[in-house]
Amino acid sequence: MFTQVLINGLLKGGLYALMAMGMSLIWGVMNIINIAHGSFIMLGAYATYWLFSQFGVDPFVSLPLSMAMMFFLGWLVQKYLINFVVQADIFITLLLTFGIELLINNLALLFWTADVRKVNVSYGAGNFQLLGTTVPAVRLAAFVLALLISAILFYVMNRSRLGRSIRATSQELDAAKLAGVKVGNIYAITFGIGTALAAAAGTLWSILFPIDPTMGGILTLKSFVVTIIGGLGTMLGPLIGGLILGVVEAVGTNWLGSTYENLISFSIFLLVLIFMPKGILGGRD
Amino acid sequence: MKTKTLSRCLSLVLTVSAVLLFAGPGFAAKDVIKLGCATSFTGHLSRTGKLYVDSYKFAVDKVNEAGGVKVGGKNYKLELVFYDDKSEPTESSRLVEKLIAEDKVDFLLGPYSSGVTIPDSIVAQRYRVPMIEGGGASSKIFSRGNKYIFGTLPRAEDYFTSTLEFLKEQKPLAKKIAIVYADDKFDLTVGEGTKAQAPKMGFDIVLFEKYAEGASDFSSILTKIKSAGAEAVLVAGHTGESINFVQQAKELNVTPYLLSLTVGPTEADFRKALGKDADYIYGVASWSPQMNFPGTIFKNTQTFVEEFKKKFGYDPDYHNASAIADIAIYKDAIEYAGTLDRQKVRDAIAKTNLDTIYGKVRFLDNGQIKGTSVVLQNLNGNIFQVYPNMGHNAVFPMPAWNKR
Repeated sequence: MFTQVLINGLLKGGLYALMAMGMSLIWGVMNIINIAHGSFIMLGAYATYWLFSQFGVDPFVSLPLSMAMMFFLGWLVQKYLINFVVQADIFITLLLTFGIELLINNLALLFWTADVRKVNVSYGAGNFQLLGTTVPAVRLAAFVLALLISAILFYVMNRSRLGRSIRATSQELDAAKLAGVKVGNIYAITFGIGTALAAAAGTLWSILFPIDPTMGGILTLKSFVVTIIGGLGTMLGPLIGGLILGVVEAVGTNWLGSTYENLISFSIFLLVLIFMPKGILGGRD
Repeated sequence: MKTKTLSRCLSLVLTVSAVLLFAGPGFAAKDVIKLGCATSFTGHLSRTGKLYVDSYKFAVDKVNEAGGVKVGGKNYKLELVFYDDKSEPTESSRLVEKLIAEDKVDFLLGPYSSGVTIPDSIVAQRYRVPMIEGGGASSKIFSRGNKYIFGTLPRAEDYFTSTLEFLKEQKPLAKKIAIVYADDKFDLTVGEGTKAQAPKMGFDIVLFEKYAEGASDFSSILTKIKSAGAEAVLVAGHTGESINFVQQAKELNVTPYLLSLTVGPTEADFRKALGKDADYIYGVASWSPQMNFPGTIFKNTQTFVEEFKKKFGYDPDYHNASAIADIAIYKDAIEYAGTLDRQKVRDAIAKTNLDTIYGKVRFLDNGQIKGTSVVLQNLNGNIFQVYPNMGHNAVFPMPAWNKR
């Protein structure tokens, strides 16, 4: 039974990691805590849902498409809204993203109603046996995809010109400007990448769980916790944070009971803040 | 200068609001009975809240078409006054107060869910305005000696009674049962009521666990259910959670003889979201569209189901039927009392003995309906009442996920 609990936790952790990656990136580069992150995940999930239910596009096929759409949306939101306050006090950006969250959620409620919906793929609940445990196939696929996207992001950030510009902007704004980095563009692109990652998480979420317009709130919180646990300013942070949170939650709820899931995740969050304020991987670069 | 503009603005606002205030009651026609209702148009309960709104409107239209409510030889039309409580209890009770004090409604209809109904019912009691509600079944609503609250959902403690009786009659006997419930007021009462009852009927409870309302991941609970070897799994939760639970039961290959969930299996959304996986899942309800009772607003249950489907395009479930009954009870009680006096109407409601499409309505002394629940099962994309048997046989045990 313990192996099963561990597998449940790891697979969930992969999804948490992907969810938090976008938030961590935007936070690290722009010092913006994006309260609307969960709403972007929700939009990604709905993009997948509509593509699936209206046109029969398989979620794994539509993933790049919904990521591209959300990249564009994020780019617009940053360029024409957030950009005006990006240098302002953190509370201003908090308020703005909070406002964006309210707007997105309520528009979604208005147009799509609060109906609980589900992307119902034929292989949706498939599973296989491994070492005496049951491994849900789609969760495993989501997990692998989360790792894959992390790896791509890691590569882009460390090897490409774009990645270097993004990191330079986050580490030393003035020096980056001097070196010819177009900071405004970099911000918009970073925000776009962040929302595209949210869309990827939303797509995977929509295969695994039912979706509704208000699903984002708790996901923002979870992403926040994962980001803090993993540590800001590193691409590996969300991955480590996500896996830790997933496993701790699985083991914890197994031991204490499911009603305490949030108690467990926020206790971990507090402990990390007290003993490792920079997160598990934080402060090394 | 600034203060002048401010005071000018202020006086304008005051004048406008004064005009609105005095003009307000003037618009209201005299021969109208106003029913006030603050319920969930938005927020996490709005999906089920909509079922009540649809039904209240439908029933009121029907009553008005048929001439309205007769009081002292005069025909009154019913009028609904709605507010959106955003699914929040504090907001809801504030709006109920507004309905009474500002909109001057004659009587109240309840919101959806037990947690919201409790504060609302307390406001109703404070102003001595009768409230008939069709969406809250927790005993915590009815255990406060509140004389003004009447509910048309049966006692939460008894929700799974019929399921346990059904299990006793089946072979193989599912002796080991798991009870899983959300940690809100209603489901807590269901869970604890079932826990108290099951051992008396000879069942062993191998797992008794609650989860946080709105939870999406049940892998931990399902893993425990599997390792405890539960043969029947009873879940008290909400639609979204139910869909998750069933899907993840399949993911983790958990196949008890019976999997029953309180809210979800009766709703069209549940079948739409799960597709074929909804088959064989059991549910409970105080009512099913397969029943047939003579009604007052509608001829009988079957004509109601037919007309409802035609108008709204979805199958009514027990929420809808309960709401229809609420309106029927008001019509009956007001006509019986022969006055709009709230106290007299309250006394008339307490004495209700009425045939409705929801079944015979009589109230217990605490204001809750005398009633039981039935066992339902999803079969071939449809929901059927299987206990008490009305001609559709249950499939028991549920076939394994990989043998369907």
